Amino acid sequence: MNTRIIASAAALAAGTLVLASCGGSGGDADGSGDATTLSVAGWSVATTPEFQLLADGFEAQNEGVTVNIVDYDPSEYNTLLTADLAAGSGPDIITQKEVKFVTTFQEGGQLADVSDVSLPAGIGGAESYVVDGVTYATPYRQDAWVLFYNADLFDEAGVDTPDGTWTWDDYEEAARQIADNTDVNGTYQHSWQSVLQGFANAQSPGADLLSGEYGYFAPFYERVLRMQDDGLQESYNTVTANQLTYQGEFGRQRAAMLPMGTWFVATLISQQAAGEADDFTWGIAPIPQFDASTTGMDNTPVTFGDPTGFAVNAALEGEKAELAKKFLAYAASEEAAVALAEIGIMPAALSDAVVDAYFGSEGAPTDELSAFAVQTHDTKPENPTSNRTTAIQNILNDMHSAILSGSTDVDSAIAEAEQRVANEVAAD
Amino acid sequence: MTVTSNAPRRATVPQAPTRKRRVSRLRIRNTLLGLSFIAPNFIGFATLTLVPVIVMFYMSLSNWNIFGTSTFIGLDNFTRLAGDGSFRRAFFNTLYYAGLHIPLTIVVSLSLAILLNNKLRGVAFFRTAAFFPYITSIVAIALVWNLLFSPDYGPVNEILRFFGLSNPPGWLTSPDWSMPAVVIVSTWRDMGYYMVLFLAGLQTVPRELHEAARVDGANVWQRFVNVTLPCLRPTMFFVVVILTINSFKIFDLILVMTRGGPGQSTTVISQFIYRKGFEENEFGYASAAAVVLFFLCIIVTIIQFLWNKRREI
Repeated sequence: MNTRIIASAAALAAGTLVLASCGGSGGDADGSGDATTLSVAGWSVATTPEFQLLADGFEAQNEGVTVNIVDYDPSEYNTLLTADLAAGSGPDIITQKEVKFVTTFQEGGQLADVSDVSLPAGIGGAESYVVDGVTYATPYRQDAWVLFYNADLFDEAGVDTPDGTWTWDDYEEAARQIADNTDVNGTYQHSWQSVLQGFANAQSPGADLLSGEYGYFAPFYERVLRMQDDGLQESYNTVTANQLTYQGEFGRQRAAMLPMGTWFVATLISQQAAGEADDFTWGIAPIPQFDASTTGMDNTPVTFGDPTGFAVNAALEGEKAELAKKFLAYAASEEAAVALAEIGIMPAALSDAVVDAYFGSEGAPTDELSAFAVQTHDTKPENPTSNRTTAIQNILNDMHSAILSGSTDVDSAIAEAEQRVANEVAAD
Repeated sequence: MTVTSNAPRRATVPQAPTRKRRVSRLRIRNTLLGLSFIAPNFIGFATLTLVPVIVMFYMSLSNWNIFGTSTFIGLDNFTRLAGDGSFRRAFFNTLYYAGLHIPLTIVVSLSLAILLNNKLRGVAFFRTAAFFPYITSIVAIALVWNLLFSPDYGPVNEILRFFGLSNPPGWLTSPDWSMPAVVIVSTWRDMGYYMVLFLAGLQTVPRELHEAARVDGANVWQRFVNVTLPCLRPTMFFVVVILTINSFKIFDLILVMTRGGPGQSTTVISQFIYRKGFEENEFGYASAAAVVLFFLCIIVTIIQFLWNKRREI
């Protein structure tokens, strides 16, 4: 055995390893002072066209400016972005995918004050980015939760389609009639905690996620448990065990109604066009209301939804910081909003032009109620901007699975969640 | 390798200073050679494991949300852990899982190994089949078992109903049955791996001892208890140690099967750490929980070592 060869081979292997461990750091973001290049954090760029659209639009407006999109894995977006920022190599524009992480970045000193960026009047979701009176991000996209319905199945069951006056009682009644008169489920409720808790938080009088008192969830849970037991909708246990998808359940006409976010509009249109979903007539109605005081087309229905927004990296200075703020203003503008609406994305700034563009694509519903449902709503934030939100949402998610799986009764599960929030979540 | 075996022999002849210098040079060369062999592994271990573990011990005494600097807060994280109902629940659930999973896996994998140690037709096929779950993707396993355990439409409950059980358990949807269900799946997944270890151990059991016992009139059970088991002790020790550590660290299977639910019925310590650290950005607090898990593993392992040593004498 030639020891020299072995020794040099081992040394080579060691050297390679050292090099490999050094070369691993990401060169994603350019922290350079180059004032004509912006890097924007994004995710699944191939299937999420909004980033490229905004980048192209901004480049067209500003000659000589280049916008690079940094592509992150969507499921680990916040973790990866946090790691990059902590290492000092974060992107210039820090896209806020979920509102509950805003305070993490803000308290960590990563976000610049963008209070001076001018926004179109009436833009939705802007207040979600305000902490102690300072704005740390601006919204460009805001989905809201609405009720999708299958008009063909309503006809088959001889039930009147939603007319914008529904409370949750009307919704339950319609589901019951459809389940009785056809062989499909009245409605489909996905397993996410949002689908139930979001409405309870937005609509119940005096509801406050941060208050630590959750009795207001009880009527919402009791209704869903009753609907599950009566076979008006697929049970939570079946939804989770069989990993049902809401696209499949509604698109394949196994349920006549679906409470879901407006992002599903674009998906449903493309799935019907591609034959992945059945061909049927569908529409959008405002989400059912807590009581009659907010129903009808002369009122503003209350729903919930969180914005998606852009923030500026606090490390930027001078001209580059100004350019970044310019990008924020562009992304929130009506011009960008119309462009986003044309590709089926619900922008934060809503106007008639935006709604026309949104429903302009083939296969979109054309009725008045659908346009009303998309354009008119009082959208409450799903996640209040607080450093306690994530911990509380985790506890409420445990409560959600405990109640809907039928393993704990509503009152004890709520009492346990209240106790856990009191004991485990720091007061502030 | 001839160099290493020659070195000490030459060193035993302390004579002329020139020879001494040659010996020491040789020794240095041998040391460097040895180090170069260890280096690739050690550098990787140090950068990816050793340093992070040491940092974790410091982080557990601090309050750190990943950005900026951390503040030293002494043992505050640990006192908070002691009063945290969710952590106590996760701690109990981890012990519950380990207490169920360790004995069950040993019994099942040892039985399989003894069964497949015989000269059967197609024994290689069955050995491979038993090993399959271990190399299957954990996400696929979770998906399929979720369907099997589905309370209303799942085959498991269909079979139970067929045998006259009118009210079969809800498995993953029931807080009483979710942990046993996870244990069943993880035992099914791990049995092949430990079976291979036991098979290797069984090869070392001397045939003569079995024959002698048989001549003395020992039946199958007596031979198993008095011959096979004592001869398997080194293997058994290794399996128990590895199995215990792996059981305390259980994470992936629970994350993909139940996400800790329903309620908190399957939340374990690793998941608590993940939640506090990566979801709620309380890295200091999460590190404290990780330190507790570390000591839990190390204390149990030390006890096992001491016990094994006593048996050895």
